[in-house]
Amino acid sequence: MSPSALPSREAMISIRGVSMSYGGRCVLDRVDLDVQRGEILVLLGGSGSGKTTLLKNVLGLATPETGSITMHGVDITSCSRSELGAVRRRVGVAFQAAALFNSLTVEENVALPLRELTALADSTIKLMVRLKLLAVGLSDAGSLYPPELSGGMRKRAAVARAMALDPEILIFDEPSAGLDPIVSAELDELILFLKRSFGITILVVTHELESAFHIADRVAMLYKGRLIAVDRKEQFARNTHPRIRQFLDRQADDSPRLAAEEFISTYLKGSAT
Amino acid sequence: MTLLEKTGQAAIVKAEDVGALTMQFWSVFRKLPQALPGVGGGRRWRSAVRQMLDIGASALPMSGMMSLCTGFILALQSASELRRYGALEFVVALVAIGFTRELGPLITALSVSGRSASAISAEIGTMVVTEEIDALRVMGLDPVDFTLAPKYLAALITIPCLTVLSTLCGVFAGYLFLAFSLDMSLATYFHAVAEAILLRDVVFMLIKSLVFATIIVHVGCLEGMRVRGGPEAVGHAATAAVVKSTFLVILADLAATAFFYFMGWSATA
Repeated sequence: MSPSALPSREAMISIRGVSMSYGGRCVLDRVDLDVQRGEILVLLGGSGSGKTTLLKNVLGLATPETGSITMHGVDITSCSRSELGAVRRRVGVAFQAAALFNSLTVEENVALPLRELTALADSTIKLMVRLKLLAVGLSDAGSLYPPELSGGMRKRAAVARAMALDPEILIFDEPSAGLDPIVSAELDELILFLKRSFGITILVVTHELESAFHIADRVAMLYKGRLIAVDRKEQFARNTHPRIRQFLDRQADDSPRLAAEEFISTYLKGSAT
Repeated sequence: MTLLEKTGQAAIVKAEDVGALTMQFWSVFRKLPQALPGVGGGRRWRSAVRQMLDIGASALPMSGMMSLCTGFILALQSASELRRYGALEFVVALVAIGFTRELGPLITALSVSGRSASAISAEIGTMVVTEEIDALRVMGLDPVDFTLAPKYLAALITIPCLTVLSTLCGVFAGYLFLAFSLDMSLATYFHAVAEAILLRDVVFMLIKSLVFATIIVHVGCLEGMRVRGGPEAVGHAATAAVVKSTFLVILADLAATAFFYFMGWSATA
């Protein structure tokens, strides 16, 4: 990659010392992470690693116990509701289950943020919706309702809706969940296309290794609430941290099996005497 | 845990419940005007009209039929007693007053709470599970204004209308009975009904139906918004919504009736 293609060093999302716990169990432990302008950062993590919680914090759906999250220069953990609203208009989110409104057609779903949050004329909104649907490759599905779409189309529609207000940041939650490998690869291409053509900063939260390494500029990994590595993907793939190796080499966690074996052996000893 | 701690804990949980109910209540009532026609291009109003068809129009056959049956049952039961005193014509007053003040609003509320409290909580609960509510928030839209307010408005408009219609059904059932047993004409019957009920009774009926409407839609929405976890939580929420709203409707009915009684507003002139 040529040096000019490197993302500039300006943090679009800046997470500082974010901690959170549920019922005494620490889910996030002093997480620091920056997402820089124009890059695709993939946040990896297994189930229970805290990545969903971190995402909720970034989206302002949960407030961390300590730490700050700054987007567009506003600390969303302490700002007013109206400031949060203003930040949210500049961030697009594609949810795991697409979260389209079933009572609205695809076109109406994409038009929703434009109709509700802008004073644009109807004809302008129609044109913008058409453009977004073209960009995600759904130009002929605009009049369908979400339940009539396939899983991949639904995700594309969700991306179109997330793009409706021309955000500078796009956030994807598990983009490849529930998709077959081909559709999932198509979605990866779409994400790369959005970055290339619109220069959008993209944060992807996933556990899918293949897609992560395909689309990422940098990869971050959460393990039990701690951020154990953030690196360019080439360096990340060579990381020797045991948890990262375990994740990358898809090894099962041995500890439950060992614990069970130990329990059985002590139990057998106990019943023999 | 000591007994004190246990009691305190339970009390705090209940108090939080009441707090959540009240907070949701006020936030919706502040947004309610936005669901009226002519505001914001009438988008919320269109959604409110859809809800009205759901909550009101499609409940009419059921609540009408229930009132018709109950009216007939009331007439039959009272007639068997009143006949012994040769006072069969008092059936008219009993059915008319009973339905206007009590059974009309109650039967309508029970049928709507069975149909709509569960439907509302399931719909909103599903939106929570599929992250649609989160999506609204993240887009900078208020779920209260977007999904709840149209439902409240629809319930507050349609349930009183339904109550009037099903009261008419119940009163009409009284006529059917008397037409069979005493050959009473429709004109005579409705004349007697008009004699028996006062305007005050009709006002009480409407007040009660507004209170019941609020309870049903409020419990339905709150149970839906409180769904956490997967699809099975939606089922639990739907059940809880029906159980709680039915219970609260009866409790509110008792409170309202007792209030009217002790204020001396129940006596027929």
